[in-house]
Amino acid sequence: MTWWAVVRFAHVLSAALWVGGQLTVSLVVLPLVRRLLDEQRRAQVMRAVGRRFGIFTGAVFLPVQLGTGVALAWRKGVTWDSLADPGYGRILAAKLGLFCAVMIAAGLHGWATGTGRPAFARAMAVTALVGSVGVVLLATALPAT
Amino acid sequence: MTSVGIHIEKGTPTAAPPGRASWHLRANAIVVGWLALTVAVALAGDVLPVPRWLLIHVFLLGAVSTAILIWSEHFTVALLRARTPQQRWSLARLALLNAGTVAVLAGVAAGPWPVAAAGAGAVVGVVLWHAAALVMLVRRALPGRFGHVIGWYAAAAGALAAGGTLGGLLAAHVGHGAMHERLHAAHVQVNLLGWVGLTVLGTLFTLWPTVLRTRMPEGTRKASRAGLWLAAPGLAVTVAGLLADLHLVAAAGLVLYAAGALAAAVPLAEAVRRRRPHTGAAWTLGAAIIWFEVALTVDLVIVTTRPAGAVGRALEPLIPVVLVGFAAQVLVGSLLHLLPAVLGGGPIRFKENAALLERGWVVRLAVLNAGVVLLALRVPAPLLLLGWALVVTAVAAFVILAVAALVRSRAFAVPRDGAAEPEGGGPDRTAGRTAGRSALAGVAAGCVLTAAAVVVATTGGSGPAATVTATGTRTVEVTLSGMIIRPAMIEAPVGTVLTLRVTNADAQRHDLRLATGERTPVLAAGRSVTLTLAPLGETVDGWCTVAGHRAAGMTMRIVPTGALAQPGTDTGHGAHGSAGQTTSPDGDDATVTGIEQTVLDLVAPFSPGWKPYDATLKPAPGGTEHAVEIRADDTVVREVAPGVRQRVWTFNGTVPGPVLRGKVGDVFTVTFVNGGTMSHGIDFHAGANAPDGVMRTIAPGERLTYRFRAEHAGAWLYHCSTMPMTQHIAGGMYGAVVIDPPDLTTADREFLLVQGELYLGEPGSDGQVAKIRQDRPDGWMFNGTAAGYDHAPLEARTGERVRIWAVAAGPSSGTALHVVGAPFDTLYKEGAYLLRAGDPGGAQVLDLAPAQGGFAELVFPEPGTYPVVDHTMRQAEGGAHGLFEVGAR
Repeated sequence: MTWWAVVRFAHVLSAALWVGGQLTVSLVVLPLVRRLLDEQRRAQVMRAVGRRFGIFTGAVFLPVQLGTGVALAWRKGVTWDSLADPGYGRILAAKLGLFCAVMIAAGLHGWATGTGRPAFARAMAVTALVGSVGVVLLATALPAT
Repeated sequence: MTSVGIHIEKGTPTAAPPGRASWHLRANAIVVGWLALTVAVALAGDVLPVPRWLLIHVFLLGAVSTAILIWSEHFTVALLRARTPQQRWSLARLALLNAGTVAVLAGVAAGPWPVAAAGAGAVVGVVLWHAAALVMLVRRALPGRFGHVIGWYAAAAGALAAGGTLGGLLAAHVGHGAMHERLHAAHVQVNLLGWVGLTVLGTLFTLWPTVLRTRMPEGTRKASRAGLWLAAPGLAVTVAGLLADLHLVAAAGLVLYAAGALAAAVPLAEAVRRRRPHTGAAWTLGAAIIWFEVALTVDLVIVTTRPAGAVGRALEPLIPVVLVGFAAQVLVGSLLHLLPAVLGGGPIRFKENAALLERGWVVRLAVLNAGVVLLALRVPAPLLLLGWALVVTAVAAFVILAVAALVRSRAFAVPRDGAAEPEGGGPDRTAGRTAGRSALAGVAAGCVLTAAAVVVATTGGSGPAATVTATGTRTVEVTLSGMIIRPAMIEAPVGTVLTLRVTNADAQRHDLRLATGERTPVLAAGRSVTLTLAPLGETVDGWCTVAGHRAAGMTMRIVPTGALAQPGTDTGHGAHGSAGQTTSPDGDDATVTGIEQTVLDLVAPFSPGWKPYDATLKPAPGGTEHAVEIRADDTVVREVAPGVRQRVWTFNGTVPGPVLRGKVGDVFTVTFVNGGTMSHGIDFHAGANAPDGVMRTIAPGERLTYRFRAEHAGAWLYHCSTMPMTQHIAGGMYGAVVIDPPDLTTADREFLLVQGELYLGEPGSDGQVAKIRQDRPDGWMFNGTAAGYDHAPLEARTGERVRIWAVAAGPSSGTALHVVGAPFDTLYKEGAYLLRAGDPGGAQVLDLAPAQGGFAELVFPEPGTYPVVDHTMRQAEGGAHGLFEVGAR
């Protein structure tokens, strides 16, 4: 148990909160909201949930994830060049790329929600969700040392 | 008029009490669930314990029995127009059956056995309760036209009660050997022909005309009565016959059963004559009936021609036919027909569900039956796999469609429950659909992104690893089996792109991992996988990662051409080069032994045409004078271990040489001819002569006469007397002289095992001699072949007195001869009885130092396969190992 374990713990926990939060909202909260509330309240609740989640993403998730991620990569001795190596480097690069795509999709979701494009917003939300599950998949594929 | 089974459900979908419709729905969900689990178990294969048993029982005890419990009660109620029995008790029976099933599955797969036995008890209790409930229904109902069907259900329940009891006994390991086999045979027959067969036959009387949408033929009732009166007692006779080891009685019972089935088939055929099958359900059921008849015929032949103890094993290949061809197809066919009715929801809904379930039925039917044909024909492994794939695909397709239909009806039912939801608003529907579509688009986009990322992550190719430019390609077959990797060494020019086709030819699981990181998944028996490596740069080690396998010798290496001669590339090789071998001090020798001293693959097949040395010892010929010619021959090539042929030095071309047998006082006149390429001699321990003359070494082409009187009884060694004797004996120049003790009783069978060490390599070569001198044999042999009698077992029968003569030829190790499972009651070693039959004591090992001999006697208690081994376990595992195949008397 070293401080690096704490850093890794924070990285994993924050990722679990973010992916788990999305899954919970999509699979548990939204169906119930849709069934139990009328149109107006529904929109209200969903907006509130979206805003809160967006704040969590910007204020907690991204800083923790980027900070701990960079630290872990530094400790692992990852360089820009090594990201092209097959194996660890390549998987990490793919994971970072997918993570960026997920963040873009999440951003687009927020923008589409704000400008009244519900269908596009929904598509982007699901894209972000599936993509973040993919990030988890790639994270588990990283060879442990 | 006759399509009672369906119309009651279908005709009154709205009037039916919601409780009943939903309990059938739920109950069928259990069946579909068990079917899905069956598919999962089939796909999981060897990952699970007792995979084959589990597959059979998940399907038959889980899916089929649950379906029978549900549907026989449902049909009884429908046919008798009786009141539905209390739902609570029906559900309780269903729950108890499933609990019992889970207990049986868990108890047998993971233990302990009392859990399984208790589960079997629960299952038996449930079916008896079920039968009682059905009989009560008949008693209470008005006399009707369909009462006869219930007799079939009751008889079927009785059959499972018997079969479940037998199963419980099997799980509790009651009865060993032949008794166990007979219990097993009876268990299989009564469950498949009784519980499944009788239920299906009884149901078909009404279901078959309904599925065909025709009237029930006249005379159905009569046929049913006659059929049941023949089939049920017939089955009872079969079971009794199998248990009592009277296979002809069992066969007679089966003939009765078949006659009953035939009588029952008459009205079914009549219905087909009236109306040809035209739905998926009808064709599937029809195919099932045909497979049932095929299976019944083959079963009859097997029971007639085999002893009861061998029936269970002979039925093995028939199991897929019955399981898939008959049981699974009946289940699928019935569910195809019945599920839409059960799901309810009005005529439109009914049609939609029926159309959904029958989607692509022609293809599914063809695929499933093609699969069954492949399974039934016992085709080679890859085709067999295809057969299973076809079957699993077809069943899985049905499961998916059935789940879709179940979910759809559930979804359809939800608005009724949801109080807050406004009733079926049009715009709301469209909004939902748009939302679904955009969600789908999101899923697709997410998956595409993830897939792209995974592709980027996993494709290698242009990394810094590619410092070696590819110069060519080569594909090598690599086989994992018997704790070795073949080939153990691959040599290729630098830059070669190697493709390894790795096959696990062993009975247990293996994988292959290379030091450069490439690895195969853990391969089940018979599976293959292809690894493509980066261009070859330096020596690459490979090994199996399963615990202990690397240490046991499952290693290989890939060597660039030319690197072989450089000891410098030999990184850590000695640590895991060969099992239990120490690295030689000098580098040169390490390289030599590294290649030559391979671990023997004793499970590999022998070459075609290989014949074992006949271990049967013939009685002594008459007369007191024996004249023999023995020829030294050092040019013969023989198979000394599975697939390993090498030159041996022999007397008369065999290892061991010819056996001489006689009585005390007999005179042997041996003409010894040196037909070899170097000097040889011969030394008979059984004689008493001055060594100077008869044991002298003679040059190639010379001959001598060796005359000796056998003054003493015993099992004697003879061997080449030329120095260095280690090499001549290790080369194979030894044999046995058996002189019977005067009071030797007659035995039913006599065998002779001469044990010797095996040194691979050209006899007399530097490498081979080094191994002899360091006492590092590559293996041990009975009668000149390592593990030969594992591949060609010795035969005996129970109750016979078996005498095993043994001589330890060495040159350096003796033997601790032991037969697993059968103690010796007589032991004779070096001229004296240590133990005689009738003594209170017994013996476990006949221990012989190098050159000693003797015999042991035993009586095999029951049929089975008994290993005969040198209990010096290193030597047993190195090939001093054989099998006795003991049959029933």
